[in-house]
Amino acid sequence: MAGKRWRRVLPPVSAIAGVLLIWQALCAALDIPAWLLPDPWSIALHMAEEAELLFGHVAFTLGLALRGMLLGVAAGVICAFVFHALPAVRAAFSPLLVASQNIPLIALGPLLMIWFGVGILPKLILLVLVCFFPVAWSMLAGLGRSEPQLREYLAMIGASRVQTFFRLELPASLPYFFAGLKLTATYSFLTAMVAEWLGSGRGIGYFLVLQYKGFKTTGVFASIFCIVACSLVLYGLAVLAESWVLGRLRMGGSRVKGGGGA
Amino acid sequence: MTEYTGVAGTPGMAERADGSGGDAWILETVSVSKRYVRDGRSLHVLDRVSLGVREGEFVSVVGPSGSGKSTLFRLIGGVERPDEGIIRIAGRDATGRRGLISYMPQQPSLFPWLTVRQNIASALVIAGIDRKKAAALAAEWLDRIGLGDTAGAYPDELSGGMKQRVSFLRALLMPRDVMCLDEPFAALDALTRTRMQAWLLEQWEAHRRTVLLVTHSIEEAILLSDRIYVLGGTPTAVRREIPVPLPRPRRPDVWNDPAFGRLREDILALLGRSDRRDD
Repeated sequence: MAGKRWRRVLPPVSAIAGVLLIWQALCAALDIPAWLLPDPWSIALHMAEEAELLFGHVAFTLGLALRGMLLGVAAGVICAFVFHALPAVRAAFSPLLVASQNIPLIALGPLLMIWFGVGILPKLILLVLVCFFPVAWSMLAGLGRSEPQLREYLAMIGASRVQTFFRLELPASLPYFFAGLKLTATYSFLTAMVAEWLGSGRGIGYFLVLQYKGFKTTGVFASIFCIVACSLVLYGLAVLAESWVLGRLRMGGSRVKGGGGA
Repeated sequence: MTEYTGVAGTPGMAERADGSGGDAWILETVSVSKRYVRDGRSLHVLDRVSLGVREGEFVSVVGPSGSGKSTLFRLIGGVERPDEGIIRIAGRDATGRRGLISYMPQQPSLFPWLTVRQNIASALVIAGIDRKKAAALAAEWLDRIGLGDTAGAYPDELSGGMKQRVSFLRALLMPRDVMCLDEPFAALDALTRTRMQAWLLEQWEAHRRTVLLVTHSIEEAILLSDRIYVLGGTPTAVRREIPVPLPRPRRPDVWNDPAFGRLREDILALLGRSDRRDD
């Protein structure tokens, strides 16, 4: 068991280590100046020196991302329920929603700032707009895709619409919900960071802007590492939640079929 | 309350308007017809089908594949409405009304995220039994039919035959007047199927519930039933109603009885008249 796990972890870890080593070697061999491309070791040292500062900014952004994600996922689930229950509403609003996803963030952000100021509200709105869509869309697909045999059985024994929803459609849609949640988790930290560009005095996005405006390339790389790490952590948490819930519902791994009967 | 124009050899509430006594029709379809429109063409599936099941009676409907047997069940279950005719359950008009029958489909249709016990209890809750009582009832009966070990197992851990036993028990425990079994063993292999027929016979002899079985297996129908309706033709109509003269309680080896063979020949001949697609 331990050996198997080791064999799965080893290739990606050694690949990353290899890239870092080559990077380090190139920087040393070609004598690249730090303002152009800092070597990984200097970045690591810089991160250690500025750990407290970085941590403060990262924590702020993470807090923003988590709150936005929570609200966005809640909005997405509610939207999926409403659209599923009322096909007329779905038909009317789904083109609008799809269109809303094509508004560039870079244009929407300044508008939200004009309307709602520079506080947390416009940033949360931006996050909700980005986070709710993947959850809403994939869960909506899941709600309509439950096993026809089980649907027929419930109809034959006289289950009500509400009973059918809670006993079949909702559990069968959970694999789809988690697919959406994983997408959302990937986007949420990046979006929170972009939101901070639009006017903030804190957060890793703000810090990143400060660094590159001051040509502190090492600081820019330090921020990038923090951002990638946080996005991965959020994604990892979503994956853990997925395997825990689906495992408990016997839908884990290869069995994900939206409620297979036999 | 509704006028009934009798069709020869079919049940009619008119003669038994009081609905009392062991002879009462629990389930009755009166001259039920159904058409579908598919690709702009009208498809006549059922033509004035009249049949009935009395209290505590086991009745089978036999017909070739694709003869609208499942449509008949959807009408009885109230999932669809007939174009003509009435369906009565326990003497009341049940046309288009759901939640009056218990149902065992061809596929086990167990919920993969619920244990065996939860699967049964969940169906009982839908039928109006309170949560605690449903769970207790499910556990008690699983023990009683020798499936106590599987109570905490999930459906994907059970064999096909076991799943159908659970599915049968789920139907048996529903507090409804009539059990509708829709080709319950058609998806099983021949050996398991034979075993399950014997098992169902034993279970029915023990509980004597009112059952309507749809099957395309003549042997299965004869082994289990008190009466058989043979369907055939296009659109599907009742060709004949045949009482099964074999005594109760019946044993699974009743097919050795000469009466069994004669009945089998009769039904085969009836079915052969329309087409040769029966098994």
